[in-house]
Amino acid sequence: MRFLAFLLAVSALSAQDAGVTHADWPHYGGTQFSWRYSALDQVNTSNVKNLLPAWIFQTGDYTENLGSTPLVVDGVMYLVSAGARVFALDAAKGTLIWQYRYPTARPGIAGSHSDFIQNRGVAVGDGKVFFGTKDNFVVALDQKTGHEAWKVSVDDPKQCGCNITAAPLIVKDKVIVGGNGGDQAHRGYLTAFYTKTGRVAWRWYVVPAPGEKGNETWKGDSWRYGGGAPWLTGSFDPDLNLVYWGTGNAASDFYDADRVASGANKSRDVNLYTASVVALDADTGKLRWHFQEVPDDVWDYDSAYEVLLMDRQIRGQMRKILVHMNKSGLTFVLDRVTGEFLSSFNVPEIFNWISGVTEDGKLVGRNEPELGKTKNFCPSTAGAKSWNSTAYSPRTGLLYVPALELCMDITSNDSKPSEGRFYMNGDFPSRLPPNRATYSHVDAWDPVTGKRVWSVPYKYILLSSMLATAGDLVFTGDPEGNFFALDARSGNKLWNFQTGAGHRGSAISYAVNGRQYIAATTGWQQTLVGGAIVGVFPEESFRAGSTLVVFALPEGSR
Amino acid sequence: MKAGLLLLVIAGVMVAQNLPDVLKQGESVFNKTCATGYCHGARGAAGGAPRIAARGFDQSFINNTVQRGVPSTAMPAFGTALSRADLTAVVAYVASLNGVASPTIVANRGGPPSPPVTRLTGDAARGRDLFSDAVRSFGRCSTCHEIGGIGIPVAITIAKVPADPAALKALATPQVSTATVGSDSMPALMLGKKSNAVIFYDLTTAPPVLRTESPSAVQTSDGSNWRHARVIGSYTDAELSAILSYLRTVVKP
Repeated sequence: MRFLAFLLAVSALSAQDAGVTHADWPHYGGTQFSWRYSALDQVNTSNVKNLLPAWIFQTGDYTENLGSTPLVVDGVMYLVSAGARVFALDAAKGTLIWQYRYPTARPGIAGSHSDFIQNRGVAVGDGKVFFGTKDNFVVALDQKTGHEAWKVSVDDPKQCGCNITAAPLIVKDKVIVGGNGGDQAHRGYLTAFYTKTGRVAWRWYVVPAPGEKGNETWKGDSWRYGGGAPWLTGSFDPDLNLVYWGTGNAASDFYDADRVASGANKSRDVNLYTASVVALDADTGKLRWHFQEVPDDVWDYDSAYEVLLMDRQIRGQMRKILVHMNKSGLTFVLDRVTGEFLSSFNVPEIFNWISGVTEDGKLVGRNEPELGKTKNFCPSTAGAKSWNSTAYSPRTGLLYVPALELCMDITSNDSKPSEGRFYMNGDFPSRLPPNRATYSHVDAWDPVTGKRVWSVPYKYILLSSMLATAGDLVFTGDPEGNFFALDARSGNKLWNFQTGAGHRGSAISYAVNGRQYIAATTGWQQTLVGGAIVGVFPEESFRAGSTLVVFALPEGSR
Repeated sequence: MKAGLLLLVIAGVMVAQNLPDVLKQGESVFNKTCATGYCHGARGAAGGAPRIAARGFDQSFINNTVQRGVPSTAMPAFGTALSRADLTAVVAYVASLNGVASPTIVANRGGPPSPPVTRLTGDAARGRDLFSDAVRSFGRCSTCHEIGGIGIPVAITIAKVPADPAALKALATPQVSTATVGSDSMPALMLGKKSNAVIFYDLTTAPPVLRTESPSAVQTSDGSNWRHARVIGSYTDAELSAILSYLRTVVKP
């Protein structure tokens, strides 16, 4: 067993430098490989029990929770709140260096995505701090002063009903940003801007226009409002010069007769390039390859989640792979050079939307919503995991997953689209699966063998990202306010701290002057998935807030 | 004079006056605004947010909640987001879902007055759609012009409509100057010069970029090589004619 772990560690070395963070936490996913793994090991399995708060920062923005990923560069932390207040903090002490308040956002369409207040993080590069806004601007601040450097409108919220909640991704001289709105009559896209000037470099539409390859997979004019918005943050492999991004579900969500020709073969490539992983040329935004995970997605299992890039030994051969989970919990392992399907594994214990997956990655036994009927489906649109990220440790070779066990009742309808308005065509209230006492679990999966190595159950649902460290620890938080550490090899709980409010953001680890810190974002989300879950557990009160709690070992005890 | 192109209908005529019509309007507003599965679901009976049908809510409670929202929850305040007529109608509809037999439908206080409804036909209607046609990405007029709440107000309000596509292309733009930052010269729309900052739109590419630079870093000069003709290239002359028809109906001299 030890020998096996050693082998895995060695085999993962080639991508290790690109995947691990050290003193800094420079990108949303830790690095552009999106592992959320820190090489810091000062805090480890034997001393984690001594962790204590070193400092606390309250954003003062209580319109929504703190759901972002803080970044740390050269001892300075950059943090954005839900209402787009940006803070630069001394990462060792928590003292304020500068702050920036985004002015009141221009209203979008009432009752659309543009009503939701959320921000998942900033990007830092080229001497600037970048973030997206509720009214679809990308803003660049001077990294030293917090003063606006440039600002550009990506789309009109009054027309698209869309907004930007994802952290941008810095790729060389560009900043790339995705947007929300794929559950609406909207056509999703990624846009790249030059970091220096804010001028647009390229835009890639998820749904191809007439004359472009892939448009033939759309019925009639349905491509215009086909959804697919890539609403999270992608990854980048500098050696291949490829940007990887997950795309959202097709619109309308739960009814396909207006977008899929009757009798279409649903085994592959329906409504391209929705519910897919795509590889784009970083310089031009041109599509290099795609792999569609949910052809004709009629369950809102969109594939917008994080893309983990790693090199692993597969059937005796070192391969450049990516690991990608979508909302259904189906997790795909692809060759990231070519997009070739290598394997898949299914995370949730309860699922009924398909019966399985073939050896070449096709879905089998589709169980679809039916017009005018109410049918129960598992998992729910909250996902077998929500948008909060997994983490990957090259020391254990394991992927750490906050997995959910929820179902939903879909009642679909055939209403017609109106630009920028919700175009889901169905109700989908969450339902607890019967005969269970726990509805989520932290899992450790070996992505190569597709085996679950350990699993720790939890009563409610886990909606906070995982953080893995070289101290062989895995950190995350729960809706009751607990922030805790598990042993990365066994899942044993080693430490717990009650932070006072639910967790819906993403913890990071970093170091200043040789001292390792672990920063946890707190505050339960009141809208969307966090809000909806209140209806499933009506007796509970998961507390809101917007506070960063930063832990370290006591001075002198190291 | 080209009266056949458009038909103006004044709001007051369109607003539903009797209860069945108001409830119908309310249901339509509800379906578009409140009934998504993330929120209250169809007929307020199912969704991510709490059920609001058959809860015994009275109309004044519904009115307050719709207008002000519920702090620390996902329920936004619609008091300024919806028109007065739509607010009245949706409140009446939700009251009807709660068994209120004859909800009050006199005009609601709060909320902006309903905008005059302009029904466009023919070329003007086509022109309106072309003005903000999303398929054209950053090549649509609304990338820089706001009309009727649609579009990004980069350019000043359109006060005078050019006679034809040729005039639209040849539009004189003396307000565009040239800014130079380092070795980079760009067509610029100046917004303001303060002691510590120069704020301007860089018009090099669409969408325009709002730049903030320190005064010592920018040199400006009058005139530019920017031409309106170059940024409207996604439209044919026939399409530009339709857009001009639209502008003539909505731009008041």
